Amino acid sequence: MSEASIPSKWTSETGPESLFGGKDAPLFGRRQRRARGPRLPVIAVTGFLGSGKTTLIRALLDKPEGANTAVVVNEYGEIGIDNALLRSSSDVTVLLGNGCLCCNVRTDLQETLRGLFADRARGAVPSFERVVIETSGLADPGPVLQTFATDRGLGREFHLQALISVVDAVNGEGNLARMPEAKKQVALADRIVVTKSDLADTAATGRLIEHLGALNGAPVGVAVAGEIEPFFLLAEPSSPRHSFDLGEPEHSHGLCSFALIFEKPLSWAGFEQTMAVLTALRGPDLLRVKGLLAIEECRGPVVVHFVQHVSHPPVELEEWPDSDRRSRLVFVTRGLPRESVARLFTDVAAITA
Amino acid sequence: MPETAIWNFRQLAHHELDGFGGIGEGMSIQIAKDGRRILWLAHESAPKNFTAVDVSDPRAPKIVARADLPQSHMRSNSLETVGDIMAVAYQTKEQGLQPAGFELFDISVPENPRSITFFDCSGPHSRGVHQLWFADGEYIHMSSSAPDFTPTHPRDDQFYRIIDVKNPSKPVEVGRWWLPGTRQGDSEPPPARHPEGADTGFRPHNTNVYPERPDRAYLGYIDGGMVILDISDKARPKMVSRWDYHPPYHGFTHTVVPFFDRNLLIVSDECVRTEGADWPKLVWVVDGRTETNPVPIATCPLPPLDTYQRRGARYGAHNLYENLPKPNAWKSDRIVLATYFNGGLRAYDTTNPYQPAEVAYFVPAPPERAPSGAIQINDVFVDERQVVYTVDRHVGGLYTLEMDF
Repeated sequence: MSEASIPSKWTSETGPESLFGGKDAPLFGRRQRRARGPRLPVIAVTGFLGSGKTTLIRALLDKPEGANTAVVVNEYGEIGIDNALLRSSSDVTVLLGNGCLCCNVRTDLQETLRGLFADRARGAVPSFERVVIETSGLADPGPVLQTFATDRGLGREFHLQALISVVDAVNGEGNLARMPEAKKQVALADRIVVTKSDLADTAATGRLIEHLGALNGAPVGVAVAGEIEPFFLLAEPSSPRHSFDLGEPEHSHGLCSFALIFEKPLSWAGFEQTMAVLTALRGPDLLRVKGLLAIEECRGPVVVHFVQHVSHPPVELEEWPDSDRRSRLVFVTRGLPRESVARLFTDVAAITA
Repeated sequence: MPETAIWNFRQLAHHELDGFGGIGEGMSIQIAKDGRRILWLAHESAPKNFTAVDVSDPRAPKIVARADLPQSHMRSNSLETVGDIMAVAYQTKEQGLQPAGFELFDISVPENPRSITFFDCSGPHSRGVHQLWFADGEYIHMSSSAPDFTPTHPRDDQFYRIIDVKNPSKPVEVGRWWLPGTRQGDSEPPPARHPEGADTGFRPHNTNVYPERPDRAYLGYIDGGMVILDISDKARPKMVSRWDYHPPYHGFTHTVVPFFDRNLLIVSDECVRTEGADWPKLVWVVDGRTETNPVPIATCPLPPLDTYQRRGARYGAHNLYENLPKPNAWKSDRIVLATYFNGGLRAYDTTNPYQPAEVAYFVPAPPERAPSGAIQINDVFVDERQVVYTVDRHVGGLYTLEMDF
């Protein structure tokens, strides 16, 4: 992307905080109650054709927790939400009742979301509280992740709260074996929903869940009759409590997924330089890096998120979510193993100290 | 009719105040002796004087007291409480009428406010008090006329006065200041008038004094811009600086809120004409690092013009949340909360003061009996629980909200 940015841009000797920061100037602007700050939460749902994405989203809209949701169907020639839910297949917004609306996108996702944001401010559409994007079955979630990473994208108004991967128990295993996109969808997800378990035998579903666990350490939920607890879809992703290394499993097309835990607070300078090295040398292979960090210079924990060579602006939170004050970083890479990354962090920390 | 537009606020309750929902610019919290949290509200116009609302449970506000004005030719648009004392500003429609001044009440029993004293400001050229600041329990800083003050122009009839109320039954004036040239007998020439129709007077609106700088008063001086006064000697206030941006702007500087720790000043205009006739009425971010040379560096983005200009009645800035130096008031030197009449209540993050970013809005649907067919959000207060109170100028009454950003 042209707006490539290395993490070191986020702190500087000059800038508004140096003139107007006050005595207690935070490193990353106003401390926020939550990672998304004031931005509207976006839940992106990926999954192959027929995996049950639409059913899952429709079930969410029917629940009180799903009220005031704008659904954006990002489809390319695929049969999307059926006619009962969406009365037109052109680029229009349809009110669904319950404060919800649905938007069928055949053009540009950014344009549509910007338009929705402006319509909301004008009172032209109901004041929706979140956006659910139903992506096309074949979509690589990478570009969707990047779209929300920068101000020049949608990062000023919208925050990608969760990437949900839907895998059906009947065809999921086959798709994972045949389609690299299916693996990527699973590997990058914040949470995974297994659907249609009632149509598959228990042993097969068990094997699928095991396989998913080998691709991604994220929580896996099983939908019952196409439905899952709304919280499972809507919540902020939580950080892992343990380090893990899923290694580079066979047939994973080079995907590595691992988590690093740091017992002691990190210096921001050390962290940003480590990420700068990783980004400069292996940017395209950093499919997703997300974490909650204890930074020496910060009172609250700092949320970081990288997608390839693009980094979200770091957000300092007012409070830690729980009593665990250790830094945790989750990596999904292409062929960059845990050991190399962990060693780089250790070496840079030794030099910085 | 537009629906309620809401982003990053959560509405807790709405109370139309039983048909008297036109609220002015006085909103003050008292914690009563029995622990109840009472919100005192000044009415925008006659016949009501003030209303007290129990907001202990912000989801279920209850009226506990209400008073009528003694005359219909007056209004009490401003009030403040400190402990169990409430000060209420009285302004008459015309000069020379009574009662013009302020009244102090003992509100130790909220159901039964008892008058302590009336401070008379009436005179041949006086309309009394438009606005007062009462935060420390000792001094009232106000925009007022006086019997002994003859303005060079009738619209410049109010000026800055400091009243010692340490003995609430015997208030005494200790100091005053007016823009040189606005009083008959001044050696300076009177200021050049703004064009007819936009000539709203060289007089103060809000007169804020904070414990961080007890030697400073921050004045929105209506057609005179922003004025900072040195009040280290209350008997002789001296001008430190004045930022006057009119013309080309339309005047009516309303409120100045310093963000002390960050050397910023947030300055609001008041929109006073309908359908955008005095557009743009703005909230300004001013670099206050050099007190003697304030420099405007940004404005908060206005509610979209095409949406609101013709929605009815006024569209533009008005009141700011003022970081009241009181225990039951919220403090923030990053967030600006501003009211925009039909553009509702808006919140901005000034972390980058060169580019204030809107982070929340609340534009309620027009109240049923709104005379203009539009909401006219007039003032805002935030208590230390971070409950936000905002009011409609005409009929809508009180809205309670939570901040969710």
